[in-house]
Amino acid sequence: MAKIELKINGKQHSFDVEDRTLLVNLIRDHAQLTGTHVGCDTSQCGACTVHMNGAAVKSCTVLAGQANGADITTIEGMAKGDKLHPVQQAFTECHALQCGFCTPGMIMAVSGFLKDNPKPTDEEIYRGLEGNLCRCTGYINIVKAVKQAAVAMSK
Amino acid sequence: MDQHHHSQLFKVGNAQVSRLEDIRLITGNGKYSSDWNAPDQLHACFLRSDRAHARIVSINFDKVGQIKGVIGVYTGADAKVAGYLRPPSFLPATGKGGMKARVPERPCLAIGKVRFVGDPVAMVIADSHLAAQDACELIEVVYEDLPAVVDPEDALKPGAPQLHDDVPGNNPYEAESGSEAPVTEAIANAAYVVKLTVDCTRVTASPMEPRAALIEYKADTDSYVVHTPSQGVNMTRKQFATYANLGEDKFRVEIQDVGGGFGQRSTCYPEYVSMMMAAKALQRPIKWVSTRTESFLTDTHGRANIITCTLAMDKNAQFTGLRVDWLTDQGAYLSPTGPAGHIRNPTTCLNGVYKIPALYAHFRVALTNTGWVAAYRGAGRPDIAYAIERVVDAAARELNMDPADLRRRNYVPLNEYPYKSATGSTIEIADLPGLSAKALTLADWSGFEARRAASAKKGKLRGIGMSAVIEPTGAGTYPRDEIELSVNADGLVTLHTVAHSQGQGHETSFAMVTANALGIPTERIKVRQGDADRSVTMVGNHSGGSRTMVGAGTVCHIAANKLIDAGKSLAAEDLGVEPSQVSYSKGEFSSPHSKKKITLAQLAAKKKLSVVGEGTFTSTYPNGCHITEVEIDPETGVTDIASYLSVDDCGHIVSHTIVEGQMHGAVVQGLGQVFGEHIVYDKESGQMITGSFSDYIMPRAGQLKSMQMEEYTTLSKIGPLGIKGMGESGCTASLPALVNAVSNALGVKHLDMPLTPSKVWATIQQNKAHLAKHH
Amino acid sequence: MRTFSYVKATSLKQVGELLAANADAKLLAGGMTLIPTMKARLAQPSHLIDIAGIAELSGIEVKDGKLTIGAATKHVEVAKSAVVKKAIPALAYLASHIGDPQVRNRGTIGGSLANNDPAADYPSAALSLNATIVTSKREIAADDFFQGMFTTALEAGEVVVKIVFPVPAKAAYEKFPHPASGYAMAGSFVSQHGKNVVRVAITGAGPGVFRWKDAEAALGKKLAAASVEGLSVDATDLNEDMHGTKEYRANLAKVMTKRAVAKLAVTAAASKSGGK
Repeated sequence: MAKIELKINGKQHSFDVEDRTLLVNLIRDHAQLTGTHVGCDTSQCGACTVHMNGAAVKSCTVLAGQANGADITTIEGMAKGDKLHPVQQAFTECHALQCGFCTPGMIMAVSGFLKDNPKPTDEEIYRGLEGNLCRCTGYINIVKAVKQAAVAMSK
Repeated sequence: MDQHHHSQLFKVGNAQVSRLEDIRLITGNGKYSSDWNAPDQLHACFLRSDRAHARIVSINFDKVGQIKGVIGVYTGADAKVAGYLRPPSFLPATGKGGMKARVPERPCLAIGKVRFVGDPVAMVIADSHLAAQDACELIEVVYEDLPAVVDPEDALKPGAPQLHDDVPGNNPYEAESGSEAPVTEAIANAAYVVKLTVDCTRVTASPMEPRAALIEYKADTDSYVVHTPSQGVNMTRKQFATYANLGEDKFRVEIQDVGGGFGQRSTCYPEYVSMMMAAKALQRPIKWVSTRTESFLTDTHGRANIITCTLAMDKNAQFTGLRVDWLTDQGAYLSPTGPAGHIRNPTTCLNGVYKIPALYAHFRVALTNTGWVAAYRGAGRPDIAYAIERVVDAAARELNMDPADLRRRNYVPLNEYPYKSATGSTIEIADLPGLSAKALTLADWSGFEARRAASAKKGKLRGIGMSAVIEPTGAGTYPRDEIELSVNADGLVTLHTVAHSQGQGHETSFAMVTANALGIPTERIKVRQGDADRSVTMVGNHSGGSRTMVGAGTVCHIAANKLIDAGKSLAAEDLGVEPSQVSYSKGEFSSPHSKKKITLAQLAAKKKLSVVGEGTFTSTYPNGCHITEVEIDPETGVTDIASYLSVDDCGHIVSHTIVEGQMHGAVVQGLGQVFGEHIVYDKESGQMITGSFSDYIMPRAGQLKSMQMEEYTTLSKIGPLGIKGMGESGCTASLPALVNAVSNALGVKHLDMPLTPSKVWATIQQNKAHLAKHH
Repeated sequence: MRTFSYVKATSLKQVGELLAANADAKLLAGGMTLIPTMKARLAQPSHLIDIAGIAELSGIEVKDGKLTIGAATKHVEVAKSAVVKKAIPALAYLASHIGDPQVRNRGTIGGSLANNDPAADYPSAALSLNATIVTSKREIAADDFFQGMFTTALEAGEVVVKIVFPVPAKAAYEKFPHPASGYAMAGSFVSQHGKNVVRVAITGAGPGVFRWKDAEAALGKKLAAASVEGLSVDATDLNEDMHGTKEYRANLAKVMTKRAVAKLAVTAAASKSGGK
């Protein structure tokens, strides 16, 4: 067992968990923030993407211990009150989600790579989305949303 | 004829841009099946067969006690006691020549034998999912291996390993449609006969939400509350009830968000009923969340049909007959929808979009040591469209004709609709000659050779392909679809439905239809789906077969008008006039004979204002022509989609936003199957070799960079709104269009999916001489 | 995952002690391979020793014509490093094409080299650039380090500390990603050292990274894509599966090599015209 202390969406948490606990389980089961999803076991689908110390990571492939002391942002921490994050705003305006299961991971991944690359080319957007799978949208509107968000964020 | 080349049911000003369900989904406030928890819940984990076919000699779970928190272990012996032995089957009782359907048992936990890798053998219940997993590893199963068969043609051969004692020859069913003699005669008398066999490969739907369930037992009523991904609560209840031999009233299905379905979420799976045993015995809620590995192994697969078309033509290249020989691989057990869907659905559109006087199909069903197969986006309709549109292209190639011209000569003309096909379908309305002409013009079909030459200059092989397709959608299995509308004192309208969105956006489109009829903003309509209390009393279909907007969506309109009528009667008293003298507009009742007015809200504050609207609908026939151009890098075999055009007839459209999204998604699911997706089993061992997203090639961002979408509409008169169901048609059209384009680029008669870079490259190596001549 | 003990190490010395005391302990850097393997219950270390935070394993610097990268350096750090981009831009390019953004934010160069996945990207750079792998015990030349599928010269208790890359005259990397996993179906790292020495390392195609010596000889004479045209990679020992035959992989290795060489020319031309 280990004591894990970390910040999630600005709030300090402390949990006693088994060493084999994954960050995603810490978030979903212990912090009870179920917006972060699990879509695979092999680190492919990206539904579990969160920001750890500002960088997008797949929380299903991070141990709770590795996240000890970290600052975590999940999808629940993206909007400020009623004000959506520009990536969230773009996703709804561009109809970039259907079932919505991959969407939190998509939004976290996109907001992550737009920090590094605020004006991505189409090819860079495709590569930025390499770690995330969507089954509903065919990605066309997701790419559109990324472009719209990039413009909104550079304003 | 009422022609609308662009069709929007509502004024643009009423168009919903952002969907009403989006806010909760983009802020992490959705509630999917794995997000449900109950106090005191326990966790299940399934021990699964690690081999394709074996007799279970013994199961020893003495060691599981070593794991702290383990509560119990269940096996096939428990399944036998519970009697959870037979999932429902929608297969007609008799098939070809009066053959009786042989539907084998599928105990929720294996009894005596395992028949595919992933077959559940035991279920461990523990106080945490990790403890349940740890305990599963300690169960010792002794197996006696049996030879396995994974190829459906092999499975039907004499001497093949037998899966079920009561299904001799692994042959549960055969069926035919149309009549054989006229087709045989047409082939005998034909000027040209073209035959082509295509493998409509086994794939998996892979909704991004893995299966999950929380099953609660209610001792006071001896009943169950079920939270699990579902395409509609009634269908789910019915299937649970059948599997568990209980009344439908013993189940309440309570769900909110469903993370994709595509047919794969319409089945009651054995894990769920296994969990019922533990929930009742332990009197505690049981939760299980599937891993993606389990999804690959045990979720129903799709397609898996090997189809041979023999097309007869006269000297003018007019189609005179079509014979279809269809072999469907259903895996180790028959799923509820699998065999029926893969026989009934292709039968209903066996002529494709063509006038073919003689039709005959022979369907064979095979059981193999693989995962079971069920409906997947189109369920047999993409398969038949793929086979027909491939054989038509092959015919054009053999006759040295333009494939667009060959199609044009054979389309059912507009004035022959409703068209009665030789397999008994009455196809309502379509205008393929007009629709495809629009597509050919937009795609600049005739200018292709110049583009091919330009690609060749860059060292690329360019190809063009088209498809023209039609399919029945909308008809349901329930006697009617119901929608309940209730108004509260704030004037908010609550809409209850038993259809269930898995991403289709019903909360928005239902609200749009209702708001349009009531003349109030869409935000005033709150759509409730998956409400266990309401839905037990309502009749209606699940969301599958592209039926929901045709059925429940149209009933929203009917119910809204019924609500207005009911409101008029109630308002008449307040206004002091006769109901016939009351008029309604934009949320307000008034009368030229009264100075008073009363709003929906005011009326609902005084009186119960609630109605149930209903409607029954037969099939609608969305149709379309898709044209795509591909550019292949001969050095690597990589195919780039250079352009993709769809011209579709979806009837009247409620939300263009949602329809476009459905079309994108469906086209890309077809593209996924064409270029990579494939569930493959090792022929010797029966092990699945594509059991993760590291091996199963899912479509990715950028694979289809854009698509041009156009409409060409004929109105359905099946319902008052003229809607045609269109959730699957994009997939039906994209499979053949893309394979036709690649075949065209490579100059080959046929190449089976998936068209991976490796396969395309190998084909180029074999055809180098030919390609040098023609490109 | 089965149970294990997680230990966050703070020094190499502590790592040595922990490894000596626990035969079944494993090192954890980014965990991008190890954690999924453990989730599948295919590995069960008694301890996971997290080395990501050890100061001795970090840092990127160029000195005396050599680029040194600490073993715990993440892919994203290599990809974005101005130092790497200036010294060996091909290495930054390679790092920016590993896996996906989330993986690059966690995975490390040391972890990748020590794991030696036959389809990983970094081994091709290390082998082509004739890097030296500096461990807690010794220095190992890349030619000796990689010993086939998931096998290296590392001994029990030995920890990769840093990687020293000689800065080449020119280098380029091209890969063909596996359509599902994103790993290299074939990747070719081509580097020129001095005037006539060219090293070509192929990853993904075979059971381990290997040098394509015929191409090296031909490119040593003339550094042009055409030099490779008449050659072929021996397919005999290459990988074969449902995603590609041996022959296909041999072809990809050649095509990627040609494209890397072509890119070298472009890069060189660009730096000439754009420089000074």
